[in-house]
Amino acid sequence: MSKVKTTAGDRLRRVLAIVPWIVANPGVEVSEVAARFGLTEKALINDLNVVWMIGLPPYTPDALVEVVFEEGRVWINYADFFSRPLRLSPAQGLALLASTDGLLSVPGTEPDGPLARALAKMSVSLGVEPEEAVDVDLGDVAAETLDQLRSAIETGTEVDIVYYSYGRDEMTERRIAPWRVSADSGAWYVEAWCHRAEGERIFRVDRIEMLTPTDERTKHDPSTGGPSHDGSGSSVFHPGSSDPTVTLVLAPSAAWVVDTYPCDVLDVGTDGSQTVRLVITALPWLERLLVRLGPSARVVADRDDGPAGLNDLGQVGEAAASRILSRYRD
Amino acid sequence: MSKLERLLNLTAVLLDTQRPLTAEEIRTRVEGYPPPGTAFRRAFERDKDDLRVLGIPLRIEQTPEIDPPIDAYRIPPEEYYLPDPGLDADELAALHLASLAVRLDGLSDEPDRSDDGLKDALWKLGGQADPSPAPVANAVASLPSDPNLLPLFTAITNRHLVRFSYRSPTSPGPGEERTVEPWRLDFQRGRWYLTGYDRLRSGERNYRLERIAEAVDVLRDEPRFERRAPAGAGRRRQGWELGDDAPTMVELLVDESRAAWARQQFGPDVEQRPGPDDGTIFVVAVVNEVAFRSFVLGFLEHAEILDPPAVRQRTIDWLETVAAGGAGFP
Repeated sequence: MSKVKTTAGDRLRRVLAIVPWIVANPGVEVSEVAARFGLTEKALINDLNVVWMIGLPPYTPDALVEVVFEEGRVWINYADFFSRPLRLSPAQGLALLASTDGLLSVPGTEPDGPLARALAKMSVSLGVEPEEAVDVDLGDVAAETLDQLRSAIETGTEVDIVYYSYGRDEMTERRIAPWRVSADSGAWYVEAWCHRAEGERIFRVDRIEMLTPTDERTKHDPSTGGPSHDGSGSSVFHPGSSDPTVTLVLAPSAAWVVDTYPCDVLDVGTDGSQTVRLVITALPWLERLLVRLGPSARVVADRDDGPAGLNDLGQVGEAAASRILSRYRD
Repeated sequence: MSKLERLLNLTAVLLDTQRPLTAEEIRTRVEGYPPPGTAFRRAFERDKDDLRVLGIPLRIEQTPEIDPPIDAYRIPPEEYYLPDPGLDADELAALHLASLAVRLDGLSDEPDRSDDGLKDALWKLGGQADPSPAPVANAVASLPSDPNLLPLFTAITNRHLVRFSYRSPTSPGPGEERTVEPWRLDFQRGRWYLTGYDRLRSGERNYRLERIAEAVDVLRDEPRFERRAPAGAGRRRQGWELGDDAPTMVELLVDESRAAWARQQFGPDVEQRPGPDDGTIFVVAVVNEVAFRSFVLGFLEHAEILDPPAVRQRTIDWLETVAAGGAGFP
């Protein structure tokens, strides 16, 4: 951790928080205060040495704050104006409510436990009803699955999963070694080594149909690095140079595609349309996309597209729509 | 005399004073300022900035007894102090856990600070009782930020009306003006929404923050609104449940192979009954038909909209357009 220069403003911020706590906990050990607020005892004592110079005019001894050190313990007296900390800023209030409410939305979190009680108390303190000002839902996932994954991560063991591959529209059985679970853009993901793929993969937790823990300790070490979130939400899939691609012209109304999938924007027209190249994960994936986009997108021939097995992508959308239509006409 | 000492004395004096103090009065009462002149003014300006950066509520009023009136300062105690939320040790620990597990990106009072301000918030609440590493370090969620999040949160807590331009998803242009009683910020499906009461349409509505065209106007001079009874908070909401219209009940038949996935999306309370060929018929309240159709098309030929006839027909019309090929734009 790099050393950041502590400004007077930073120290003021710290003192205004620490002094009220010591006032409320007279005779507390200096080491405990330092641990609580994450500073060295030396830094803490330096700050408190400034505090005992503080007071109100005329700054005579009877008007000064009193800081007493004795046998590793500290007392602060006559600090009426430092009796309570500064209120939370609106940004802090929002971040605290969002974090707390968000964690409560994770299945497996006790609905009536200390977190829920903390949320209720902080809401009152901020002047709002709990869950009435901010409601964060991180994503839909079975509590048990998430717990089992976390457990496997903690014990370093592998799990067997039955996984619904959305792109390929098929169920597969896999043995994986998970190392990280995270939520991004409204869904939960698990990063793991997949034996079937013989590589690192990111799976969506809500597509795990069944999970069976094992006692197998994994030999795969996540420190070798793996796919990680780059914050854009589109890092779940890493295109390789040999992956099949499709080139689409998107109407302005279909601009959401650019925000949702990793793609290259090749050209922007004067009417706001965009020509993009997308990597295809599997045919059903492309079918879904084209059926949803309908007339707001069309496939264009591009000499850089066209891998083995996916010829004439121009008809994929039409063919899929016809197939679905036959259901409605039966 | 260190700067920290002067800042602490300044804070104490401004908190303690019964009436606002002029800069000159402050200079004589607070130790550590240069004599009157440019040096003093500069030092005082910097100190005021330091206080403001910390979120200390520095109020400037005009002196009534001097003509022409000059600026006078105080810190109103009722705006400074954090009322004790009464957190137990385990509740405070839970808040720490939440702040580590769920981060709200980019939300800081000071853009140049590297932390997210929550460390400071937790200091104000009493620091960290047990500073051992958090066990949830391998489950992290990250919430995206939006420039209107904080203004809307402040409006919600103070019950101020807001006004903004709301863009339509498909047509370009600045969008329509809305005047709304803001109730709640919702994070669902990876996006932020504002839930509130639309005054023109006289009903509860959800707005995607991404579609709010510019900075919202917080109407501080208008009377504060009274909270009406909102619809269920904390209930998981899907894309087709969010929006501007009254809901339509749609019947959807899903094949057995996909029914479990569908059930997960609709939640445990959805109305359902057995359908032909071991499928399941779900009855879903749909506000946004386009979003629902997009969701249904994701099942490709494994699902079918049965009812109401108008919605079924519009789906057929859509599929026929796609099957016929040809983009709807040149």
